[in-house]
Amino acid sequence: MTPASASARRTARDELAEDTAHGELYLTQLRRAQLELSLLGLLAFGGVVGSLPLLFALVPALAHVAPLGVPLAAWLVAAPAFPVFVVIGAVYERRANALDQSFRDLIREE
Amino acid sequence: MTLAIIAVAAVTLATVVIGAWGVRFARTTSDLYVASRAISPWWNAAAVSGEYLSAASFLGIAGLEMQIGVPALWQAVGFAAGYLALLLFVAAPLRRFGSYTLPDFAEGRLASASLRRLAVAAVLAIDGFYLVPQLKGAGIAFGEVMGAPYWAGIVVVGIVVSLYVALGGMRGVSYVQAFQFWVKTVTIALPAIVLLIYLGGIPNRPTVFGDEQPHAPPAGIVVELHQPELVRFPTATRFDAGGRAEYAHAGEEVELPSGRVALPAGADIPLPSGTPAQTGSEWARPVTSRGEGSPLYIYSLLLATFLGTMGLPHILVRFYTNPDGPAARRTTVRVLALLSMFYLFPAVYGALGRALAPGLYMTGQTDTVVLTLPAIAWPGTGGNVLAAMTAAGAFAAFMSTSSGLLISIAGTISHDVWGRGLRPASMTVRRRRFRIVAALGMLGPALLALAAQNIDISIMVGWAFALAASTFCPLFLLGIWWSRLTAQGAAAGIIVGGMLAIGAILAGALIDAQGAGGAVNALLTQPAIVSVPVAFGAMITVSLRTARPKDVSAQMLALHAPEGLGLEALERVRA
Repeated sequence: MTPASASARRTARDELAEDTAHGELYLTQLRRAQLELSLLGLLAFGGVVGSLPLLFALVPALAHVAPLGVPLAAWLVAAPAFPVFVVIGAVYERRANALDQSFRDLIREE
Repeated sequence: MTLAIIAVAAVTLATVVIGAWGVRFARTTSDLYVASRAISPWWNAAAVSGEYLSAASFLGIAGLEMQIGVPALWQAVGFAAGYLALLLFVAAPLRRFGSYTLPDFAEGRLASASLRRLAVAAVLAIDGFYLVPQLKGAGIAFGEVMGAPYWAGIVVVGIVVSLYVALGGMRGVSYVQAFQFWVKTVTIALPAIVLLIYLGGIPNRPTVFGDEQPHAPPAGIVVELHQPELVRFPTATRFDAGGRAEYAHAGEEVELPSGRVALPAGADIPLPSGTPAQTGSEWARPVTSRGEGSPLYIYSLLLATFLGTMGLPHILVRFYTNPDGPAARRTTVRVLALLSMFYLFPAVYGALGRALAPGLYMTGQTDTVVLTLPAIAWPGTGGNVLAAMTAAGAFAAFMSTSSGLLISIAGTISHDVWGRGLRPASMTVRRRRFRIVAALGMLGPALLALAAQNIDISIMVGWAFALAASTFCPLFLLGIWWSRLTAQGAAAGIIVGGMLAIGAILAGALIDAQGAGGAVNALLTQPAIVSVPVAFGAMITVSLRTARPKDVSAQMLALHAPEGLGLEALERVRA
């Protein structure tokens, strides 16, 4: 790291630490962006899991299709939610870390 | 049964050895509480999962599935989903905030000593609700596996867990937990897979998915009742009770005497109250119109588990062992993957139990299906080996969850209650206190477990989740993401949410005993869908009516500023 960027970082850090309007604004923006990302993840989760009980209640025909001899509705509760959780979690992790990184870049560029 | 005893003894011994090995690392107070925050994400993820998979996951899901049907599997979905909520809203900020315990967070974020005391009370209540059913499961399983009296399992598990928590603290226990996660996963997955291969899929399909009720196999069935049992016969049948030939009409309620009861080939199994008479296709429907299968109950259960997991003190304290925020995220995603693997398998036991072990319906012992099924499904050595495996896994479940809870209790009492307000105690004194509390902290829950022999495991675990979702969940979500939250608001939400949850569940237990049903009963058994929104509402309303908190930006900085900016020193800028 060059001396110039090191001193720039120190300035930005001080800015944050001293609660200047500027630094606080950046942090508020980051917090809002992270919250939006989390709510998006919640929406994806809610769409998958929240709709399942409703689906089963409204479409009784699901009980009559039976891959491998087990009714489709029973399959849908027993297995597919779990890999979906892992995928949502992994995508969220990448995006959240990327948001943190862009905040770091912003502070260092100052 | 000898095999099962050897397997249980081997797991117990390995637990003590690994715990003792971990002791060598437990040299400072920081080690005792949070393992120096230097455990790698995979180890930590296995440890979190190991701590989380309790009697309710290992035995309870399969047992409830066999009893009420496929709707029980929503519990597994909710148990895993809780970590998604934790990942999305809590993991990284909470780790960055850098507190040891939940009361630390409450006081650090809102600068209120009385809020801290309230949080301490909630931590102890949640841990207690959770510890009692674990010990109860140990007592029942000891009886099932070794024919020992109920208290024996409680005493053995209680002593083993107290010992290694007192000696190893969390560092030793982290390795024990990770080890026990793999014990549990292998011992639930392998027997399930082997049995499915041995049986060539799920046998007796009309009973499981078709239009038949569970009935006696072609050779008839003999069930040994340890106490008189009030049952309802779904269809008319002859039967033999205590050597006397009897006859029951369809729908007749009969009090069966203790002793041997024999049913002829093909007779439908009589069911105790609380177990619905269902055909296979009714049993396999994931949403039904009544009881624990009703959409209202399912949504409430999903809400309690989804939001309650983040409020479980023994799980959260383990997140502080991550070195930083991104590591906390990484650990949580791996926990999701590990738990997802485990939760695929309990369903197999419920279905096979319905097909092959209908006698458990008569005795009301469906909770033991994971332990008893292998030997019933595969008579002979093969089945005995598999049964020994599930017995070992069940004991790993009791021990790992109880030790996590005991650490939380010991940490909370030695850190927050004992000697607080006096001048700061030295390391040695604090370590000694932790160990004394760990040794004694098991006593109370063990006595309660002795008294709670007749309270359902799933009811008590449900209390813990509903209570956590109604108290700490709103505290975290609002405390982390809403700068306007005030200490008064937080206290109001915790009190209102906690009281509502406990009150509803107590009322539900009393009303349930008198046989009420319907939507009201669903809400009283699992009140989260009401108590959580009310707790949020109370927190927000009271916060808006009290003075805007000052100096919140330092806290928000500690919670949300990414690592690597040289800001870490500022984490301690908490009031």
